[in-house]
Amino acid sequence: MEINGILIDDTFAEAFNMRGTRVIITAQNLKWVYHAANAMTGFATSVIGCGVEAGIERELSSDETPDGRPGVSVLMFAMGSKVLMQQLETRMGQCILTCPTAAAFAGIEAGVDVDQISLGRHLRYFGDGYQTSKLIDNKRYWRIPVMDGEFLTQETTGMVRAIGGGNFLILAISQPAALHAAETAIEAMKKVPNVIMPFPGGVVRSGSKVGSKYPKMFASTNDAFCPTLKGLVNSELSEEIESVMEIVIDGLTFADITIAMRVGVQAICELGNESGVKRISAGNYGGKLGPHHFKLHEIMGKVS
Amino acid sequence: MNALTFTLKKNVTQQIDCRLLSPNNLADLSIVQIENLYLLNTKNAPKISDYFDVSGDDANHIIFKNANQQLDYIGLLMTYGQITIEGDCGDFLGAQMRGGIIVCKGNANDRVGDQMRRGLILVDGYAGDYCGSRMIAGTISVFGKVGNYVGFAMKRGTILLTKTPKLHATIQDCGTHTLPFLALLFASFKGLSTRFNTVKNMRVQRYAGDLACNGNGEILVCDTTISA
Repeated sequence: MEINGILIDDTFAEAFNMRGTRVIITAQNLKWVYHAANAMTGFATSVIGCGVEAGIERELSSDETPDGRPGVSVLMFAMGSKVLMQQLETRMGQCILTCPTAAAFAGIEAGVDVDQISLGRHLRYFGDGYQTSKLIDNKRYWRIPVMDGEFLTQETTGMVRAIGGGNFLILAISQPAALHAAETAIEAMKKVPNVIMPFPGGVVRSGSKVGSKYPKMFASTNDAFCPTLKGLVNSELSEEIESVMEIVIDGLTFADITIAMRVGVQAICELGNESGVKRISAGNYGGKLGPHHFKLHEIMGKVS
Repeated sequence: MNALTFTLKKNVTQQIDCRLLSPNNLADLSIVQIENLYLLNTKNAPKISDYFDVSGDDANHIIFKNANQQLDYIGLLMTYGQITIEGDCGDFLGAQMRGGIIVCKGNANDRVGDQMRRGLILVDGYAGDYCGSRMIAGTISVFGKVGNYVGFAMKRGTILLTKTPKLHATIQDCGTHTLPFLALLFASFKGLSTRFNTVKNMRVQRYAGDLACNGNGEILVCDTTISA
């Protein structure tokens, strides 16, 4: 399959079941919203080392937030509910409670297949007895006295079943070309709801394979896609490819990730062959590890 | 579905105990059944139809029309739904309330929200003495003046006022603050068409109390003439 002179591999991205949650962060202005949300979603690129994968889903205007202040919605994903709950509480305590003027609200309402997990339920004890709760429109909030005034947080937020690890690879003739294409894709994908691209700037350059020559390593560099190893290993790369970058997507549903992948790949294809991008591929483990397969040809078939 | 409406008949001279007339007690009853209920479990107790004309079919929302200060104990122990009082009401409005909303468009007598635990009481007019007395939690908002001993022996909860009342010794001034939760509270008032609808000022004088009962409650005085 070829779109605009860019080859789309007949392969698929292999993704996993995760647990996801959404939190709405508000503050006095967007500057402090981002201070809070960037801290909360910092060091959250991959579950391998960070416990959770988190990112800012989108900006919210003041009439979209519960308290009428500007905000963002943050999505957070983990391999299990226990880790997600623990990470959410830790990050709430260290990043939102501490951030001047910040407040936190549930981003997923109660419903079928939605579990309620603690947002401020345990954080309230920071109030040392001076915390007070308010039940407003059947939602419980906690008011915790802090030095800048009062920290307001909803008691719980919703946790749902989600999918993590949707991805595609950008194969280009140079590092700047690959990066430019990746940036273009991310810009387009940021507009898609219910997904995040958790890596720095949404892009990861160190794709991994399962296993290693070192017994203690579970994952190691994806040598088949490393341009400098072309002559050494059973490389996936043709002669002209000099740089590969990957975009990883976590989303609330299969459909959300499909849309994000299509929008991203489409944006790159619109740059055309002249941009230096030659191929789009995807990362998988032979289809045995993850239950969700995102087939590139199926996803892009609806476009070209 | 129309709100279940109790219109007080004319020429009623005595106090009426309205504790039976809450969403909890009247769910799934027909008008005839309601009319024939005895107001109290006492000998020679009057029937509801002796004092009220009953209409409507939605017991989740109860309206008192032609209401005056003879109606005591409205919303006692209620846990859900809404009661709207078009007029004044007597003592113990929303006493021991455990949820739901009470809107009083007129004045309320003494002991509004006595021992209330959850829920919301909005009074457009005045409230009498001991407003929010022995309150356990919940929210009471009074737009008009309140009498003496507001928040007497309150444990937790919020009493929102628009004018500084006369406070007793165990209520402590905590200063003036802009409280973010008020944005949520005011937003929840929006659908209730009371005088609080227009209130936007999140800057309030905060009094904590009653210190004789741990002092986790608060009386907030909001200047409603300021729009932001």
